[in-house]
Amino acid sequence: MISSNTFHVVSTELVVGGFALAGLAFVFCMIAPMLPSTFSDRQGAGDAVAHVALAFGLLATPFAILSGLSSAPGEALNSALLANKMLFSLSGGGLALGVLVARWRNGGGVWDSTRTRLIQGIAGAGATACMLLTASLGGKFTRGESLLDWLHLPYNEVLLMPTFLSIALLLIGCACAAVGFRSTS
Amino acid sequence: MLALVLLIASTTIGAAEPGGNGDGLRNMQCGGACHGDASQNASSSLSLSIQYASQVWVGQPTEVTVIVSGLGEVHDHELLGVFLLSSTNANGDTPLSDGWEILSDGHGGTGNYVELTSIAGSDSIEHTWVLRTEDLGPKNMYASIHHGDSAGPSQGQPFFGISDGYEVEVAPLPENAPRLSAAFDPASTREVGVAIQVSIQTEHTQTVNVEWRAEDGAMMEAIVNTTGDNEWVFTLPASLKPSSVQWRATLIGEGPEQTTPWFTVVAQTAPEEADSGPIYLQGLAMALLLFGAIIALQKPQRREEDTTKVYDNTAHIESTQSTDQEDAPAPLPEGGLPPGWTDEQWAWYGHEYLAGTYGGDQQ
Repeated sequence: MISSNTFHVVSTELVVGGFALAGLAFVFCMIAPMLPSTFSDRQGAGDAVAHVALAFGLLATPFAILSGLSSAPGEALNSALLANKMLFSLSGGGLALGVLVARWRNGGGVWDSTRTRLIQGIAGAGATACMLLTASLGGKFTRGESLLDWLHLPYNEVLLMPTFLSIALLLIGCACAAVGFRSTS
Repeated sequence: MLALVLLIASTTIGAAEPGGNGDGLRNMQCGGACHGDASQNASSSLSLSIQYASQVWVGQPTEVTVIVSGLGEVHDHELLGVFLLSSTNANGDTPLSDGWEILSDGHGGTGNYVELTSIAGSDSIEHTWVLRTEDLGPKNMYASIHHGDSAGPSQGQPFFGISDGYEVEVAPLPENAPRLSAAFDPASTREVGVAIQVSIQTEHTQTVNVEWRAEDGAMMEAIVNTTGDNEWVFTLPASLKPSSVQWRATLIGEGPEQTTPWFTVVAQTAPEEADSGPIYLQGLAMALLLFGAIIALQKPQRREEDTTKVYDNTAHIESTQSTDQEDAPAPLPEGGLPPGWTDEQWAWYGHEYLAGTYGGDQQ
């Protein structure tokens, strides 16, 4: 029987691999119009790679989160690092889902205008950044070091909002999604 | 590609994990978790030895001390991972696998692996576990070490070392000797600022004396009260900061006097209990907010061709005009109506006459 620790390692590698590939492809698609035609002509391929890799990483994310919770020593979220991991992974997941739904609704036209291209590219790269930061936090938690140590990020501090603010953000998010789904511009 | 090459070039192969993995119950190679890859381990030049009591009694706690020497001579290291093992199998080799119970690892836990910080200027370090077994006869013990090297040509390289085997003979206790009861389970932790009342359960014991010492080594006598037959209790005063105290009891009865090992009680600050609910709620709120923001910002664009379909009826008008034109009477041929045709006939069938299809005949 595979232990939750091993399963967590496997699932996080899938998540990080998928998101890292997606992040590179999103950045490429975002800057493609500024590149020589040899590269810019490949934007279609970059678009496919970005969104398929993102979808793959997003599918593996719940497994990584659940196995991470069950493999963490003691009660869940008893460490600032684990709390930050949860916040970053959920934020990255929300961004990634928004990017995928936007691509599904707009098709390849999401890259046609400068505004939508920037939003799609930055959101996709942002989702990747959140997931890589989550993975970095995992390294800090288990091994005491991470690739991003040189940034001296405040890993041990959690920006915890009051509950009413979380609920307000939740409602605003719902409203934004409802507005986005009900109308076209 | 350049970034990847730089990242790979800046790492060392099979680097030791500088932050350690924390104390715990681990096999000799700890599943490759202490060091990145056990197969990359180099041999440590540190010396390892084990000290234990001359008489190890069955069912009674006994001290086992691992001594690591040679620090600072070859390696420059700060963190040392020290194992107490029962074999060198690398799997299933903890003392528990050989019938031992670990009552204390000296750090407030009950594992066989502890991480020690080397002391500047000292060339050795030692650490003591308290074990107990119900098995008679010889038992083997090994000490093992994992560490890195923080400077010099082997910087970052993982090192591994293991001691020779030490045979411990577990003997039966003299029948009337005072002893700790099998039910005795020493507390190993307490919170900072809280005094702890320690209960001792004994057998064949008439008197118990307890002495304790703080980290500075000062010895103190504790007042021991009896709460029943072979039931004893004493109080360790509160500690004002995270630290450890050790205590041991001398059991006096009809048989030979017995002195227990030093039991360690670690005072630590209890981790703050965090309510997970608000964290999950905040995470969900952020996820939904970001999702909603992207959906709202990336609303589908209304396309030009769609506009054309809605407002541009040119094609329809043209087709209507075309139909209107077809409905109009055909222009009269030179010379006027064909012989025998009326105007009404020409209005209806003129086009067919001109096309040569009137009456089903090809003209």
